[in-house]
Amino acid sequence: MHFATFILKNLTRRPTRTMLTVLGLAVAIGSTIALLGISDHFERSVTESFERRGIDLVVIPGGQADQLSGKLDEWVADRVQGMKGVTGVSTAIVDVTEMWKRDRKPGEESAPSMQVMVLAWPPDNFAYDTLDILAGRKLQDDDTNSVILGNTQAENLGKTVGNTVTILGKPYTVVGIYKSFNVFETGSVIMNLKVYQKEIGAEGKLTGFSVRVEKGANPDADIEAVRQQILALTDKNGKKVRLTAEPPRLYADNATHLRLTRAMAWVVSLIAVAIGVISMLNTMAMSVLERTQEIGILRAVGWPRGRVIRMVLGEAVFLGLIAAAVGAIGAVAATYLLSFSSRVNGFIEGGIAPRVILEGFGLTVVLGLLGGAYPAFRAARLLPTEAIRHD
Amino acid sequence: MTDHRAEYLIYADGLHKLYPDGKVHALNGVSLGIREAEYVAITGPSGCGKSTLLNVLGALDRPDSGEVYFRGEAVSTRRDLDRFRARQIGFVFQSFFLLPALTARENVQVPMFEGPPLAARDRVKKAEALLELVGMSGRAGHRPAQLSVGERQRVALARALANDPLLLLADEPTGNLDSENADRVLELLTRLQRERRLTLLVVTHSLDVAQKADRVVRMKDGKVVDDDRSR
Repeated sequence: MHFATFILKNLTRRPTRTMLTVLGLAVAIGSTIALLGISDHFERSVTESFERRGIDLVVIPGGQADQLSGKLDEWVADRVQGMKGVTGVSTAIVDVTEMWKRDRKPGEESAPSMQVMVLAWPPDNFAYDTLDILAGRKLQDDDTNSVILGNTQAENLGKTVGNTVTILGKPYTVVGIYKSFNVFETGSVIMNLKVYQKEIGAEGKLTGFSVRVEKGANPDADIEAVRQQILALTDKNGKKVRLTAEPPRLYADNATHLRLTRAMAWVVSLIAVAIGVISMLNTMAMSVLERTQEIGILRAVGWPRGRVIRMVLGEAVFLGLIAAAVGAIGAVAATYLLSFSSRVNGFIEGGIAPRVILEGFGLTVVLGLLGGAYPAFRAARLLPTEAIRHD
Repeated sequence: MTDHRAEYLIYADGLHKLYPDGKVHALNGVSLGIREAEYVAITGPSGCGKSTLLNVLGALDRPDSGEVYFRGEAVSTRRDLDRFRARQIGFVFQSFFLLPALTARENVQVPMFEGPPLAARDRVKKAEALLELVGMSGRAGHRPAQLSVGERQRVALARALANDPLLLLADEPTGNLDSENADRVLELLTRLQRERRLTLLVVTHSLDVAQKADRVVRMKDGKVVDDDRSR
């Protein structure tokens, strides 16, 4: 018999209690893995949307934390386009706006609406290169009343090429359906930049733009050189323009909405883990109390305190790892199922990064050690003669 | 003085132990030497200190004063009391105290984790050999709940022998058994003591057990009142 077998046998003594504890912990760990997975996915999606397009710098108004918050003059992008070492600039307004969920019924003044992400791009935006046009075509300069829909959004709305969608109370014809590698974009609507600027009264304004840099032997130095040029940009009065120019990863690290998502995921996860620790503590304390006499025997036959501690902690960690396995499977299944829900399928992608699952397992080991520590030390402190007499 | 103690496998020198109430002496100046391969029975009325003496000799409990010497070495000065218990002493209890989740074969292996290093498969082999020795090889895969009380005590005896101890301490080993099982366990104890040249110290109320011993020590009120070596 191995020591691990001994630990396992102890866990199978009360299968119902073990199973219920595992289930409770699995819910806590599963929630943690799912939340951290979704948060991680948000971050990766944002970073990936820039990196896969070969974007080296993301430029937003200075003092703004992300691309959704501020407005930048369009001429700034034109000036950057002309800078030495810049090979491309992709301008955009990224916004969340109101769209009708369905067409208006006869007699209705309006239809129920929802919030949708709008990507307002000029037709020559190089980001189009990474989109697959599944039906219809991409937008052109003269498309003033047209949009193209991400395939997930099109499915949710039940729209196809030739149908109409209503954005900010105004009808637009769907001229194309596209697919993107980025889950957010599949749930978005793309409009012509000029049209959207006019629609929201922001002519000549952008929320930000992306820059491609010509890179030589030292890419970091090349990117930094362009960044410094951007940061040194002045307006026609010679006044410095307040800009933030960051590589995509740094942008994703600092973006407020991503930081908020990350913080919320961790706060909820820590609450779940705290509940898990208490549940583990309760189970292990009960288990140790019930086995007081047995622990006395183990001490009597020569088991040192350290082995008793290892036994109890081993049981707690083992319980936690089973729960982590169940929780991870549950979390992957839940996000996969959620990705089919029309409410969130433009935001959540099925599957969780292996790194997040490993983090979940690591957290479970900590949970097991914390939850098992007090019962373990209590068990180890028992005096053999008193423990044997315990009834 | 040191030589005198070294004559014995275990020697209790002026042991005192108060009950937790701090008034009544469980042990009141007990001195007792037991030689290797000796079979000693300790008898006396309930509460006379027999089990307390057994616990102190087995390093499960500490005396308030006095000392226990094992092969001439003071036990209280040892830093490895757990290892000492695991490797030198075997315990048999009245209530067997087998672990209910484990089979007989696994129960016998429990002390081996702290015994001389053995591979897992060697622990299994040794446990099976010990179960055969106590006539339980056919029941090795059974859990305690599936065994009779007599069988449980035989498994407990095999467990006590797991690390080949020099000293076997048995506290009322037949106390929970019917006469038939008590006879079998007693016969087994006696045989093992002779065959393996074990030093056996049995606390008992049973006259049968005492009669088989080489020596009977009688206790009363925490003191040794008689030490009959005429056997």
